[in-house]
Amino acid sequence: MNSDYVISLRNVAKHYPIGDGRFTALQDINLDFSQGEFSGLVGPSGSGKTTLLNIIGSLDSPSEGTASVLGKNIATLSHKESAQLRNREIGFIFQVYNLLPVYTVFENVEFALLLQNRSEAERKKAVMDALEWVGLTHLADKKPSKLSGGEGQRVAIARAMVKRPSIVLADEPSANLDARNTHGILQTMKDLNRELKTTFLFSTHDEKVMQYLERIIHLDDGRIAQDEIVHAQSTPT
Amino acid sequence: MIRFLIKGILRDKNRSLLPVVIVSIGVLLTVFLSGYIRGVMGDMIDLTARFQTGHLKVMSKAYADNQDQMPNDLALVDLSRLLQELKQDNPKYDWKPRIHFGGLVDVPGPGGETRSQGPGTGLAFDLLSPGSSEIDRLNIQNSLVRGALPATPGEALLSEDFAQKLGVQPGETITFFGSTMNGAMAFRNFTVSGTVKFGSAAMDRGTLIADLGDAQDMLDMDNSAGEIVGYHNAGAYEDEDARSLAAHFNKNHADGDEFEPVMQTLGQQNNMGAMLQYTDHMAAIFVGIFVFAMSLVLWNTGLLGGLRRYQEFGIRLALGESKGAIYRSLFTEAVIIGLLGSIAGTTFGVLFCFLLQKYGIDISSVMQDSSMMYPNRLRARMSLDLFVIGFIPGLFSMVLGNLLAGIGIYKRETAQLFKELEV
Repeated sequence: MNSDYVISLRNVAKHYPIGDGRFTALQDINLDFSQGEFSGLVGPSGSGKTTLLNIIGSLDSPSEGTASVLGKNIATLSHKESAQLRNREIGFIFQVYNLLPVYTVFENVEFALLLQNRSEAERKKAVMDALEWVGLTHLADKKPSKLSGGEGQRVAIARAMVKRPSIVLADEPSANLDARNTHGILQTMKDLNRELKTTFLFSTHDEKVMQYLERIIHLDDGRIAQDEIVHAQSTPT
Repeated sequence: MIRFLIKGILRDKNRSLLPVVIVSIGVLLTVFLSGYIRGVMGDMIDLTARFQTGHLKVMSKAYADNQDQMPNDLALVDLSRLLQELKQDNPKYDWKPRIHFGGLVDVPGPGGETRSQGPGTGLAFDLLSPGSSEIDRLNIQNSLVRGALPATPGEALLSEDFAQKLGVQPGETITFFGSTMNGAMAFRNFTVSGTVKFGSAAMDRGTLIADLGDAQDMLDMDNSAGEIVGYHNAGAYEDEDARSLAAHFNKNHADGDEFEPVMQTLGQQNNMGAMLQYTDHMAAIFVGIFVFAMSLVLWNTGLLGGLRRYQEFGIRLALGESKGAIYRSLFTEAVIIGLLGSIAGTTFGVLFCFLLQKYGIDISSVMQDSSMMYPNRLRARMSLDLFVIGFIPGLFSMVLGNLLAGIGIYKRETAQLFKELEV
């Protein structure tokens, strides 16, 4: 396994028991991702995109094969080690922004840093930096219910990026956004990818998202159907 | 992190308000009912001890077996020697002889003919000695409704209700008819010096109170008394001490004679032992009941809250919080909410207890025909433990309810939970 890769998957399979038999969600997955990649898993519903993101995000472990993230074998991590890996190295962005409704924008972004026991001054600076990246410093004191869809997803990006993770996993991040907002948040993520060299891995079937990807992995029935390097347009339309 | 959790609790009314209200109500009921039961039972025990049982009582064995009949023919004789012995051997108790007797109270008219009459219960004790502890113990001075305390032999008190029924005024003469300890007829004139009301229907219905010397004289009970009651100088009944003392006394006086003196504790008379245990255990019973009931309610509340917060837990898992940390934060939240509810419930519970102690509830109308030594006004009793007793069910049930609800989250596989969270 090449240690230059931030994510390395070898013969990964995932089975779920169903009655006396089993359902295979992933099979023969062999993938490597380098630092700073802007890639996407593409495929219809049930093709295994989310299962694969869950394994890379150390929320699940493979039934067979080896999944290595930042040199750590996901299958051998304890619950606590998995949580630490997510806490320090992995950011998640969801299709519904999943902001905590009782907390302000600032507090939502700050939460990830609270788990790292950082000082208040450090947290404040990091949160304001993250909100500045996504252009929302003026909404720091607002509750999520006062935000538009695009603003909510930008907050989610800030929350994922505030701890400066090595990897960001984005599961259908444009599902609830219109075209203008989709391009807006994708451009923001692309900028962060360039500026911070963060590895982005998307799960999507949205053509607008695919326009930004540099590498597209097509999944079909849990197997890799195609793994293609594409040249993303600098300003897709 | 705790500050972050507190912010969430305060801002999310669904997470905090209902559990706080449930805990507050449970704690309020625990505190209030504990104070109420302790007050009511305590008053009843206290009243019974003061008028009937003492903390300890010495009687002849035969008298003890038939004491409901006030059998003065079985009374203690050689009273002064026995009193001397009791005072010498057990100086931490105040020993006082008393005589209970029954008979007919007759009120003569101007010509000597009967104007009115009725059955009366007599109680005789040391009324005339200067500074007699019995007057304070039986609260005679404060119970006076009309007239004054007896100052000379031949004066007596009547209960106010009895006096009104007979149409007797202080200063008038009454005649008591009964029987001596030898079975002969006894009668004696008393001047009613005043009337009293004790606040117990059993006592207020028809009681005549006379000095011990007058009763001994009237009933041919020279150097005799039906019973000697003992009261701990500290004022409170000490069951263990009383039991030990009674056992020692009975062992020393066991000679097989039916007139041998026997000593009984408060707990050994009138089923008061069960009452004492009931009072002692009541607080524990209430705490147990409310812990159980509130835990079930809060478990359900916790489950509903947990389901509602699945999304939040999923986000927190994704952000790198471990399941153990989420579970611990649920515990911390439960402690915070339990404390808030306990403080609110204790405040109101103690306040209600204080009001019930101060003003009481008048139940005299329903106690008119009762023969129980029971106060006419129900009162709670404040004590320091009321300030802490509610925290046991308040904290315990909230924490137990939340932890039971949280087990579901803890036991699920992270990915499965994450999937269920639909994040």
